Amino acid sequence: MDLKPGGELDDFRQMVRAAVAQDLPPDMRARQRAFGGLQSENRDALKWAAILNERGWSVPHWPVEHGGQDWTPLQKFVFEDELASAWAPDVNWGATHMVGPVIYTFGTEEQKARFLPDIRAGRYYWAQGFSEPGNGSDLANLRTAAVLQGDRYIVNGQKIWTSGAHDADWGFFLVRTDPAVKAQRGISFLLIDLKSPGITIRQIPEINGEADLCEVFLDNVEVPAENLVGEPGMGWTYAKFLLDHERTTSSFIYWNKRELRRVRAIAEAETLDGLPLARLPQFQSRLARLEAEVAALEWSVLRVLAAEEFAYDLTAVASTLKVSGSRLQQAITELQVDLYGALAMRQFPIELAHQTPTPLWPENIAGRTATALGSRAATIFGGTLQIQRGIIAKLAFGL
Amino acid sequence: MDFNLSDMQRMLLDSAERLVGDRYSLEHRRALRDRQDGFDAGAWASFAELGWLALAVPEEKGGLGGSFDDVAVLMTAVGGRLVVDPLVSNAVIAPAILSDAPDAGLLAEIAAGERRVALAHDEPGERYGRGPRLTRLSRRGNGFALTGQKMLVLDAGSADTLIVTASIEGEDGTVLVRVDKNAANVTAEAYPLIDGTVAADIRFGAVDVTADAILVQAEHGQVVLEKSFDHGKIALMAQAVGSMEATLSICAAYLKERHQFGQAIGKFQALQHIMADMFVAAHQARSALYQSLSVAGGDGRARARAVSLAAITIGETSQFVSRNAIQLHGGYGVTDEYEVSHHYRRLLTLEKTYGDIDFHIRRIASLDAG
Ligand SMILES: Cc1cc2nc3c(=O)[nH]c(=O)nc-3n(C[C@H](O)[C@H](O)[C@H](O)COP(=O)(O)OP(=O)(O)OC[C@H]3O[C@@H](n4cnc5c(N)ncnc54)[C@H](O)[C@@H]3O)c2cc1C
Repeated sequence: MDLKPGGELDDFRQMVRAAVAQDLPPDMRARQRAFGGLQSENRDALKWAAILNERGWSVPHWPVEHGGQDWTPLQKFVFEDELASAWAPDVNWGATHMVGPVIYTFGTEEQKARFLPDIRAGRYYWAQGFSEPGNGSDLANLRTAAVLQGDRYIVNGQKIWTSGAHDADWGFFLVRTDPAVKAQRGISFLLIDLKSPGITIRQIPEINGEADLCEVFLDNVEVPAENLVGEPGMGWTYAKFLLDHERTTSSFIYWNKRELRRVRAIAEAETLDGLPLARLPQFQSRLARLEAEVAALEWSVLRVLAAEEFAYDLTAVASTLKVSGSRLQQAITELQVDLYGALAMRQFPIELAHQTPTPLWPENIAGRTATALGSRAATIFGGTLQIQRGIIAKLAFGL
Repeated sequence: MDFNLSDMQRMLLDSAERLVGDRYSLEHRRALRDRQDGFDAGAWASFAELGWLALAVPEEKGGLGGSFDDVAVLMTAVGGRLVVDPLVSNAVIAPAILSDAPDAGLLAEIAAGERRVALAHDEPGERYGRGPRLTRLSRRGNGFALTGQKMLVLDAGSADTLIVTASIEGEDGTVLVRVDKNAANVTAEAYPLIDGTVAADIRFGAVDVTADAILVQAEHGQVVLEKSFDHGKIALMAQAVGSMEATLSICAAYLKERHQFGQAIGKFQALQHIMADMFVAAHQARSALYQSLSVAGGDGRARARAVSLAAITIGETSQFVSRNAIQLHGGYGVTDEYEVSHHYRRLLTLEKTYGDIDFHIRRIASLDAG
């Protein structure tokens, strides 16, 4: 064990920092700074991918032969950390971290040639069509059916919680192609052009004024059979691959670090009887506790990235990152809200979240409460807190 | 001491539950929220008719002279249905300020549903400040000129009359003065809060105020204000208890109805335990409310301390209950189309009104310090 960070990482960090400072358009930065990870800025994700792609940096975590970078895991960590710190937009996760890896791992040469360059260039927005109204945690029971007729699948069913579908061009779907076999084995992985006839998309109004979550209705949608990735009936395996693929991202470590810095900034700016709240023991205690948790989480992430050999199942370890990271997102944004006190009650229209309301109001208040409300979802999406605990109990301890 | 409802309180509760149960569906509330002033005139007329607006008004001012316990019973019922109409400003804060004041019939008009008030107190840069005001009355001719900036005036959307706190030239203390919201040189910028109510930032640019518009003189202002905020907080805490208890019912029904993995999700012990903890929390919350009600009529330190203790318990338990309610609903919980997210947002604003948890912790510490 040698836990000193290598000096060469600093040079890398400076290099990335300088590049981002040069490349990141100020309006994009302002929007990200206000929203701080709300998902309304789907189009920024694509524009930013296109900009990064100029340097070959839009998918550094991919294998080199598919356009990734030959960086060490720690360099990739630093890269993401710098982007988040600089308020770069979030990427189109579904594209770069989900469907992309599935295509380059299991897709045909035609599929790779057709889809990967566009993902690298941020040409299309991709949505993830897994969950259904009746099947969220119990995803394997999904019902949306795809029936092969000649050279095309006819798809019927309904998806829900399809983030960004209203802004999306393409979706990667789990569909049932074989109703006869056991749940998991009848599922396939299908790429669907969301402009196809028969698709209706409804945006769902959310707790924080956003409407990024969508329902997707599929009514006799025709999908060319060549859009099925890999083998029919293997969709469940690919979905598991994709969810396991990025074990550390569910920690939201970069986001948590950045938003914790924002907590500090708010605590310095907001005052009680002329004293910054950061000087009050009441808030100092909460701040220090959160900082301690974030510091530990960062090292939990590094341990996975640097391939520590764990005594426990790796999936269970990944679930610890998700549990800690999702609760931190909530605790950090709750503290942001509490630092603003009564002012946090104001509802800012989502489209004005990057403007200061009037000089009476703190400069960066808009968007904070919306982010805190939205972060209730952190313990729900991508496997709920209860499901994660179940995974840990089972895989770490055989319970 | 009697923890059971009197006949009169039972009737009040039944009629309240009937009215708000029928009227305040989720759809109704969402439609109301989309209106500019967030105000339901029809409902307000019913409230007046049922005597809700007169409940806390003393008999000598034409009211029903109800006790604070009666008010709390009513408030739990409206809280359970997330009624966000300006009941606390008008049926609790107004009587607290005006019952002993020469108000020229203002309280009677409020009780009759003919006029609505909002208390304009908070100023920029403070956190639940209760000390001297920067907004000031300076003498001009036979009367005064009112100048200053107020923020976060709750229920301003539907109010026609403002009760403004201010310092006054030549005296110590805080006066409470009545100002017409539409008077010349009153400028309001209204905006919605996350619970769908409408607040405003209001500027007074040397507004003409006559001497008889002063409702509470400077020497009494502080005491009246503390009482008003405490009464307001108790009423909001009663609403919070109603909201938490309603949340429990909603969640219990959902756990029975929603199926995953071939069974009702309520069969999962993980969720049973969450539900049980929510119940424990809500139970503590109602007890905390009762603790504060027992001294609501009193004055000074004992009341302040009891209200702050309850505010901490109810603030924390209400967050616990409503956050978990969302969790139990999965994705549905974070939409605007399910009740639980509305309870969560309302409970968050209740926690942050008339002192948040942090304020009440500091208040207890400072009371203890003497
Ligand atoms: C903001 C957001 C974005 C999302 N984006 C996408 C997306 O892009 N694409 C997509 O396909 N999906 C997406 N989802 C869906 C998400 O994955 C599901 O919401 C999640 O899997 C939970 O499913 P559910 O909502 O149906 O809740 P349910 O599964 O109905 O869960 C309800 C409650 O039951 C509990 N529960 C369920 N099973 C068990 C068990 N076995 N033991 C104990 N407790 C249990 C849960 O923990 C929860 O508390 C998103 C969700 C959110 C909130």
